Amino acid sequence: MAAEAKAPSLAEEYSLPPQEAPVEKAVEDKPQEAESIAVTNDETPQADETATAVEVNPETSEVQEVADKSEVEDTNPAAEETTETAEEEAEEKPEIKIETAPADFRFPTTNQTRHCFTRYVEYHRCVAAKGEDAPECDKFAKYYRSLCPGEWVERWNEQRENGTFPGPL
Amino acid sequence: MILRSLECRFLTIALCDAAEPWQLGSQDAATPMMQGIIDLHHDIFFFLILILVFVSRMLVRALWHFNEQTNPIPQRIVHGTTIEIIRTIFPSVILLFIAIPSFALLYSMDGVLVDPAITIKAIGHQWYRTYEYSDYNSSDEQSLTFDSYTIPEDDPELGQSRLLEVDNRVVVPAKTHLRMIVTPADVPHSWAVPSSGVKCDAVPGRSNLTSISVQREGVYYGQCSEICGTNHAFTPIVVEAVTLKDYADWVSNQLILQTN
Repeated sequence: MAAEAKAPSLAEEYSLPPQEAPVEKAVEDKPQEAESIAVTNDETPQADETATAVEVNPETSEVQEVADKSEVEDTNPAAEETTETAEEEAEEKPEIKIETAPADFRFPTTNQTRHCFTRYVEYHRCVAAKGEDAPECDKFAKYYRSLCPGEWVERWNEQRENGTFPGPL
Repeated sequence: MILRSLECRFLTIALCDAAEPWQLGSQDAATPMMQGIIDLHHDIFFFLILILVFVSRMLVRALWHFNEQTNPIPQRIVHGTTIEIIRTIFPSVILLFIAIPSFALLYSMDGVLVDPAITIKAIGHQWYRTYEYSDYNSSDEQSLTFDSYTIPEDDPELGQSRLLEVDNRVVVPAKTHLRMIVTPADVPHSWAVPSSGVKCDAVPGRSNLTSISVQREGVYYGQCSEICGTNHAFTPIVVEAVTLKDYADWVSNQLILQTN
C-alpha cells in the first residue's frame, strides 16, 4: 500500500503495523470498490488504464499529469478526489487494489498451512453466524483466497458439501 | 569459457541475474536478503582466510623444522596449560564473531511478521509451475492464474537462455513486500531464485511462506531445487520485476484476458 510504494526505511520495514488497521480498511473500502467497478463499466479500456495509473503511483509528476487529464476528460467525482485528498486516499480507489491478507501473529512460521486453513474455517464460521452475505465476513474470504491454493479450497468446498470437512465449522 | 565468465563478472555493466557457465560467485543481489547473504559470505571468508593462513603456517613450520634430519630427538612435552586455554578461547571467540551476524541474518530473513502487499502462490507440478494471484478474486473461482512451462531446448529465440526461459513469467512489482506461498500438487518441488536469495521447498500438503522484496526491476532466473522427477532439470523459474504501476496494468490486462 502507500508505505510499500515509497520504499520504507529499514526500521519502518521491520516495525510492526497496528494490527487492526487492515481490518478497518477492508471495511471502509467497500463503497469505493463498488464505485470503481461502476467506473470501469462506463469507460473505454483506454480510460481504464489511466485510472489504474492514477491510483498506484501518485508521486511521480508524469502520473500527476495523467490524473489531471483524466479529470478533464471525464469529470467523475472519483478523479476529483484524487487530486484533492491525500495520497492514501488515491491508492485505495482503484480497481486493482494492492492489498492482501495481513501477517498473522498466530502463524509466525514458514509453515502457513494452518494459517490458510484457519482463515477458511473462520470465514465459514462467520457466514454460519452472520448469514450468507454479511459484509464483515468478506475480509476472511479475501484472506483465505489469498493464502490457500485453489486446489485446496476446491477440495474443502467439496468436503463441506459432503459433510466430511475435518474442521470445526 | 572462463574468460567469458570473468568478463561477465567484471567488465559488463549489466548485472548477473541468471546462472552462467563457470560461475564461481553468487548472482547479483536483487533483494536485501541476498545482499545480506553475500555480505555474510564475505564476513565469514575473512575468518576463513585468517584461519587458513595461520594453520598452514603452523603446518609448514612443523614439517620444516621438526623432522628426522633437523631435529632427531623429539621433545616430550605433552601438556601446557597456557596453550590449552589459548587454543580453546580463541576459536570460541572466532565462532562467536561468525555466529552473531549469521543469526542476525537468519532471523531477519524470516520476515514473516512484515505485512505483505501481494500474495503470490507458486504451485509446483510435474513439470511446470502454476502461479495464482488470488488477491483479486471475488469468488472461489481463480481470476488470475497461469501455467509456466519451460521453453524447449530446441526452441529458444536469440538472446534467451537455454533451459532457463519459460513461456509465462511471474510478474511482480519491485520494491514491494511479496508473500510467496509455495506448495506442490504432486511431489516435492522447490521454488528457488538465487538473485532473490530465496529457496523454498514445496512439500505436498503443506504451504510454505517466503517473503521477498525485489529492489530493482529485472528478470531473475532460477531452477527447481528439489529432485522432482524426470523433467526436474526442465522446470525453471523466471521472475520479472516491474514497477508497481506496470504491475497494476499487467494485472488488469490479465484479468480482462482471463475473464473473457
